[in-house]
Amino acid sequence: MKNKSLVLLKTLLRSTSQHNIYKYSKDKKKKGRIIGNTIGFTFLYLLLMAYCVGVCIGYGELGIIDLMPAICSLTITALALFFTFFKTNGYLFNFKEYDMLMSLPFKPATVAGCKFIYMYVKSLPWNMSISVAILIGYAIKTQPAIWVYPVWIIMSLFLPIIPMLIASFLGFIIARISAGFRKKNIIQTVLTIIFVLAIFALRFVIEALARDSEKLNDTLMSAAETIRKIEKIYLPAEWFNGAVTCFAISDILLLIGVSVLLFVAVFVPVGRSYRSINSKLKSHAASKKFKMSSQKSRSVLNAIAFKEFKRMTGSSVYMTNVAMGEIFAVIIGIAVLFINIDSLIAMALQGAPVTKEILYPAFPMIIYFFPGMVATTAISPSLEGKNYWIVQSLPITKKTLCKGKMLFNMYLTVPFGIFATICLCISAKVPVLTSILMLVLIVCMCAFSTAWGGVCGFKYMRLDWENEIEVVKQGMNVTVYLLPNMFGTMAVAALMIFLGTMIDVNLILGILILLYGGLGALCYRKAISYT
Amino acid sequence: MLEIKGFSKVYGEGKKAADNINLTIESGDIYGFIGHNGAGKSTTIRAIVGVLDFTEGEILIDGHSVKKEPLECKKVTAYIPDNPDLYENLTGIQYLNFIADVFEIGEAQREEAIRKYADLFEITDSLGDLIGSYSHGMKQKLAIISALIHDPKLIVMDEPFVGLDPKAAFTLKQIMHEMCAKGTAIFFSTHVLDVAEKLCNKVAIIRQGKIIDNGTMEELVGKKSLEEVFMEVQNEK
Repeated sequence: MKNKSLVLLKTLLRSTSQHNIYKYSKDKKKKGRIIGNTIGFTFLYLLLMAYCVGVCIGYGELGIIDLMPAICSLTITALALFFTFFKTNGYLFNFKEYDMLMSLPFKPATVAGCKFIYMYVKSLPWNMSISVAILIGYAIKTQPAIWVYPVWIIMSLFLPIIPMLIASFLGFIIARISAGFRKKNIIQTVLTIIFVLAIFALRFVIEALARDSEKLNDTLMSAAETIRKIEKIYLPAEWFNGAVTCFAISDILLLIGVSVLLFVAVFVPVGRSYRSINSKLKSHAASKKFKMSSQKSRSVLNAIAFKEFKRMTGSSVYMTNVAMGEIFAVIIGIAVLFINIDSLIAMALQGAPVTKEILYPAFPMIIYFFPGMVATTAISPSLEGKNYWIVQSLPITKKTLCKGKMLFNMYLTVPFGIFATICLCISAKVPVLTSILMLVLIVCMCAFSTAWGGVCGFKYMRLDWENEIEVVKQGMNVTVYLLPNMFGTMAVAALMIFLGTMIDVNLILGILILLYGGLGALCYRKAISYT
Repeated sequence: MLEIKGFSKVYGEGKKAADNINLTIESGDIYGFIGHNGAGKSTTIRAIVGVLDFTEGEILIDGHSVKKEPLECKKVTAYIPDNPDLYENLTGIQYLNFIADVFEIGEAQREEAIRKYADLFEITDSLGDLIGSYSHGMKQKLAIISALIHDPKLIVMDEPFVGLDPKAAFTLKQIMHEMCAKGTAIFFSTHVLDVAEKLCNKVAIIRQGKIIDNGTMEELVGKKSLEEVFMEVQNEK
């Protein structure tokens, strides 16, 4: 007799396994795409590992290698907490095959628990890449005893469980609250965003608590001290440290025991309300109150853009992931109006000799980080999913569809980018010409983001997903979009700040406008060529 | 086999999708459930199979309460939804094995059942392909096979004939007769009134969440056709 939980877990994993598709699919293009994705992801994991090993060696050179277990546990914790929070809604609640699974003889807690373990297993490659890489760097520098290796690896497997359970429980509370409302998606999105902002605020509180009252001049030593203190506050990190540095059995048992107990503690209440929450989330009674009135016509592109808007607001998974950047842009924009920009720069750079004028070219890039790190164009082609036939059967070309999707991303990102830039310019008293150039630059960057998103979205378009999360958070489309975009922006910002010390700021902004305008145009052509 | 007593379902908006529904489906019954779109058929069906939570009333399957003993109910029930969401990246046979594992069906028994029904629905050759490559009708056939392989005491189907080719529809009707001869109760919704009339021994008509007529086919129809009766009661009450 097979254990039903294992049967379900195995099926969940198999149903989204690329290996299964590769093995049984007869579509050669699909198989080629799977090979490409595997190579791409392997490369990303290796890149991430190389980065972590490099950081470790650097810390070793600075004589603070003893921090690595804490950095490992805190990094995995932060990532697990943050990403699980966004995934909970799609994985634990409101998923596609809910009816099929719940009509089978499974306890609701079994379904919810298996969905959680599935989410955990799916995140393991990222978490373990970080852990193993830090272990390698740590081992190079400290040559630890042989027992450290298996203990580190085994304890790393438990590290993400507690933050994932906390995030899942928060997701459960959000789902439970929003299930009682008519506009469930909107409430769910708003609550998720509030929780994320609260987590960010909590981070600052913990950091403030962890910082010495007397300011340390040495930035690195200050950071090291902060990490040590956070580790003392977040006990699982301390248990991990005790386990891998002293082989403390009590710490090992605590980390494992608390993880298991918390799992039970979370999934007992979740199991009890699981059917009721999902029933409410998935049920929509027809109001039958519609009265026919005059209808508004739109151009084809605007009609597609409007469809994209409705698609976004119809999915809390999609909306939460996309809207977060825009909301942060507004918050940052308003916040800088009330904060002295010079003291903010001084605090961020810990007293480094940099004036705000040198940072001018980086201003639009800082703003860009909020709306620019997620592009709807990277996600929406795949999100068409089974409904792709609708647009396919319409008398529009794929090119028009692509343009409509791009238009929506511009509608979404440009106003927020402009708003935050204007606020920053006012706060920093940026000269008028420079402000105008910054505004042009942020629009060019949004256009680049839109077009680059289009390239990734159409190149890695995947319609056969089981869960929206697969294409909103985990797919090749978003990974390829995000990483070069993020590191590229950071590199360009650093380079421009460096050049800012030598060349006129307006000239640098002009160069950036040309750069992003050109890149945007190239990406636009490429994206169109995929359609 | 299936008893629905005073079942009501109110959605968040305050609208009653099902209002005090009382039905009894005996072993061996083929019970048709008909009504307009949005009348409350799927709501009732989803509550019977334990997918939808409800506050008012009681649903008993083989004497077990859907609310209090859901696992006991699900062990003897098979559900075929109107638009089955199956795991697209599994092969047909992987999916059937998953269902067989969940219902703890032995290897020999599952092999025999899969072979029998897959042959009847002519999809044996496609069982090694990914479900994502199946047509709508093939997915429907797979969902039907998965419902039949564990020999349920109650089969609940939401629009089972949608998407089936004529031969598969005929096969399904034959299987329904066979199952009901063995004592299985079948409860299904349909819009095809001719099918309901020929297939069912009992029928219930639902309108705006309320059962407006039910009973044996003879009682309900008399000398008229089910279509005529349906149109009359829909307009009258």
